[in-house]
Amino acid sequence: MRTGFRLRTLCLRCSRGYGVTHNFQQRRLLNHFVSKEEIPFDLPKDAFTLAVKDNIATESLPTTCASPFLTPYTSPFEATIVAQLRERGAVVVGKTNLDEFGMGSHSTHSAFGPVTQPDSDLSPGGSSGGSAVAVATGEAAVALGTDTGGSVRLPAAYTGVVGYKPSYGMLSRHGVVPYANSLDTVGLLSRSYNIAELDPRIRAAWAAAAAAVLGARARVVPVSLPSTRHALSAYYVLAPAEASSNLAKYDGVRYGARAAASDTYAASRAAGFGGEVQRRILLGAYTLSAEAMDNYFRQAQCVRRVVRRDFDRVFRLGNPLVDEEDEAPFDLSDVPEEVEMQSKLGPAQVDFLLCPTAPTLAPGVDEARGMGELEGYVNDVFTVPASLAGLPAVSVPLAVEGDGRWAGLQVVGQFWDDARLLAVAREVREVLGVGRRGREGEW
Amino acid sequence: MGNSGFEKYKRLPSGGFALSGPAEMAEALRLQNWRIRREEERRQGEMATGERIQTRRLATTSTPSPSPPAPVWKLRKDSKAHSKAAKSAKPSKAALQFVPGWDLAVGIEIHAQLNTPHKLFSPASPSAHAPPNTRVAPFDAALPGSQPVFQPGVLIPAVRAALALRCAVQPASRFDRKHYFHWDQPAGYQITQYYAPLARDGSVTLRARDGLLGDEVEVVGIQQVQMEQDTAKTLAQPGGVQWVDLNRAGAALVEIISRPTMRSPAAAAAFVRKVQGLLRGADACVVGMEEGGLRADVNVSVKRAGEAGPLGTRVEVKNLSSFKAVEDAVVAERDRQIAVLEGGGLVEAETRGWTVGGTETRRLRGKEGEVDYRYMPDPDLGPVVVDPRLVEHLAERSGMSVDEELDELVGRYGLTEKDAVTLTGLDDGNRVQYFYNVLEALETLRTGNWGEHHAPHQPEPPQDPETLSRLAANWCLHKLGKLTNDSSLLAMTPNGECVVPSGDLATIIHHLHEHDITAKTANALLLGLFSGDIPPGHVRQTIDEQQLWFHEISRDEYAAVADAVVADGDVKAVLDEFLKYYQQEGGKKQYPEGKLMFLVGRMMRVGEKAESMDPGSAEGVMRKRIKEVYVPRMMRGAGGGGEGEGKAEGV
Repeated sequence: MRTGFRLRTLCLRCSRGYGVTHNFQQRRLLNHFVSKEEIPFDLPKDAFTLAVKDNIATESLPTTCASPFLTPYTSPFEATIVAQLRERGAVVVGKTNLDEFGMGSHSTHSAFGPVTQPDSDLSPGGSSGGSAVAVATGEAAVALGTDTGGSVRLPAAYTGVVGYKPSYGMLSRHGVVPYANSLDTVGLLSRSYNIAELDPRIRAAWAAAAAAVLGARARVVPVSLPSTRHALSAYYVLAPAEASSNLAKYDGVRYGARAAASDTYAASRAAGFGGEVQRRILLGAYTLSAEAMDNYFRQAQCVRRVVRRDFDRVFRLGNPLVDEEDEAPFDLSDVPEEVEMQSKLGPAQVDFLLCPTAPTLAPGVDEARGMGELEGYVNDVFTVPASLAGLPAVSVPLAVEGDGRWAGLQVVGQFWDDARLLAVAREVREVLGVGRRGREGEW
Repeated sequence: MGNSGFEKYKRLPSGGFALSGPAEMAEALRLQNWRIRREEERRQGEMATGERIQTRRLATTSTPSPSPPAPVWKLRKDSKAHSKAAKSAKPSKAALQFVPGWDLAVGIEIHAQLNTPHKLFSPASPSAHAPPNTRVAPFDAALPGSQPVFQPGVLIPAVRAALALRCAVQPASRFDRKHYFHWDQPAGYQITQYYAPLARDGSVTLRARDGLLGDEVEVVGIQQVQMEQDTAKTLAQPGGVQWVDLNRAGAALVEIISRPTMRSPAAAAAFVRKVQGLLRGADACVVGMEEGGLRADVNVSVKRAGEAGPLGTRVEVKNLSSFKAVEDAVVAERDRQIAVLEGGGLVEAETRGWTVGGTETRRLRGKEGEVDYRYMPDPDLGPVVVDPRLVEHLAERSGMSVDEELDELVGRYGLTEKDAVTLTGLDDGNRVQYFYNVLEALETLRTGNWGEHHAPHQPEPPQDPETLSRLAANWCLHKLGKLTNDSSLLAMTPNGECVVPSGDLATIIHHLHEHDITAKTANALLLGLFSGDIPPGHVRQTIDEQQLWFHEISRDEYAAVADAVVADGDVKAVLDEFLKYYQQEGGKKQYPEGKLMFLVGRMMRVGEKAESMDPGSAEGVMRKRIKEVYVPRMMRGAGGGGEGEGKAEGV
């Protein structure tokens, strides 16, 4: 039944982001859309609905990044990923709410106000919270998000949908407003696994691989990634550093309201950015300053490299980005003591890693708003390591019995091993059960 | 021909004549020829020295002004005296270079726009002339979500620049962001190469001909050459309004950073001029410094002479846009620092500015106000990996360096260093190409081999470089230069052509050199070509039609004219000088060249066929007849005459 579509569209377009669940009876303010497109009653057979995070440029709708700086901004060009999906039948339903410029873990740091989950007052996670809710409510079959340190996977875990962060660089970033370029990854959210079927070539490739790998049934071994404990700190040095650079263009000259002439830049930026964005810009400006560069930015880059090496040591597949000649082979004497040995040759090597997406279940929206900054940052502890290493990861939902909330389980693969990863994530989801958000026959 | 002829032709400001038909033109040319000659001779007569004729023979004189000569000469002398007085009031250039007791160290950063059709990270084509904000890709305006795409074509001029400065091109270089807020910088940062530049460790050699004083040779080290983005152009409007034109924003620049080893202001200016010449010669950069395509920042520090240890505190003077500004700013900043130190103060590390025509640098900001650029590797851009084969290829294909070209012009074509430097520096290097074209055409005329083509850049030197190629250079430089004060009116093109076609100029020079036409005719022909009265390719035809060929009279006729001059009683005193010369013992007395020229001047004036006389031939004949005929006759006559006088006295 699609009778409610037009009505809902009108309702949603009347102001900024009045969200309505797919159950029209239950109208609540979800605030997950920033702008909406009027979509036709009868979509073509091959078409599917697509929600786009509002930091990804579209020609048809404004691109605000949930920042006062860009509230009147419409991009003259469209992001490559949106154009590619449109070619494959995507019908854009709207632009979704987010933490300003993607900085946040609960979608609360938005110029349009916080996003909430459809059936509860729980945090939808961030920063792609609007996209996750759009998928959870069924208003979009697929939603585009961006994942810099977990911004697709965390909302997926909290809202009980699947979130996929591809390998860094696999999807085009052209038209994606950058937060931290070396980490920014376009990700996909969906209730079902159809996202993996967008391109039949990929499907054919991974189907063959999946059959070979999973036919023999997976073996589970514990592995250790000792440097990941430093990954979170490194992430919160690198991402704000890049953010402080990327956001320098929002200075009141061409974007945002221009403040008085004497201190145009400082005043315009103080007025135009939200608190979380200002915090990260200040953090980044400091870590890049001449006095702090060596202690913070450089050190963080070193940590990033070590984190990637940890993953490479654990995965059976080599990292295609690493020139083997450049990198010394792993020496057992380098392996930290706490790493468990599988044999005399060294620790176990695996194909995929399975770990929680977030350390906690979704907090309430008010709880999330009241959280200290550090508490919010800690939420990214499981998602950030894969971001630093550029690895693909999928968050699959698992209903928590008796709680009504969702836990996300994350499957991480080696760089560019996305096809096999998606196949395995699908197996995992089958094992875990479809759950509330999925509908039968969607696999 | 009467003076009434003057009124018939109105003199134009450009020095040309208003003409209508070929017949009139012929008459005008002859008239002009004649008139100029008369003027000149009259002046020479008044000056009672023959110097002007001497220069005429070399065909290097300019067209003298036909206005009454006396006031002009007086004026010139006056202005010379004035400028001399002014010079003595001001210290000479040489005196400005060194301050006794102090050592100067200057380092320079030069920015120049690369000669490439695209911007550094977008396919837009930068242009100084396009309407504002019409050459802007989304990335140039820093639109959200736009991405930089390195344009590989930029590498060709960039590598050429590095090679011209004798730098080692690095196998891999990287891009970094340099952050600062300014409305000429849409992204809030400039992409440059801070940590890993394109090329390192080069050098530039400076000599006297580059502007150094004396015979010193200074080798200035180049620390690095990096690629970076240009900023937008801003135009300040009344009321604190700034207009921003993004056409230039993101254009590909090279920044060249020298080592701080230059010891004099002249060396600093010479370095900038030399670098510009090298970049232009390598076809690496687009426009000259004076047009804003090249900008320099200088670092100045001083310390007491002979004092060991590191350089003094360095002060940066930013945004100098001419060679003179570089030199003047260095002088001013050096003197300021010395004054501070001699006053017991300390030089503060700071950034200063310079206003053209000023006498002092002014403080822009101190070290505490120094911008922290927060350099960060650009995460959107991978390293630039340059294949050594590209470097090799470009090195092989690079033409002559400026130095090699100057050596060639001086050594092979016989030009003076000064003329060679001027020639290579004019019209963005197009004038020297014109010179080569003229030489090539001359060679074709000389050998009569019309079908054979020489390489366009390096024609064979003429057989007698001492005269023909010097003559050609003189015409390409000075004669052409005197046609107009605004050299853009010549419309010199990069392949070395202008409104006076090189072939036509070569024709004039060829006939002049062969004594087929007089210098005056040659001048008039050039004027005709420039004014458009002689269509291109019609030089010979014009000479034919207007009967301008020079038919020289015979030696006997010259001798007859000489005899006629000497027969005039009022030159007896002049002739006596020659007598004294030939009669002297010990050889102390110089040959009276001036007197000879005076006599030649008389020949040219008295001779009824002045049009057919060559001053050079006239001089030769007169010289010979003085020695062989007149002096012996006077010696004989002096004996006889003496007797006569004696007799008279005796009577």
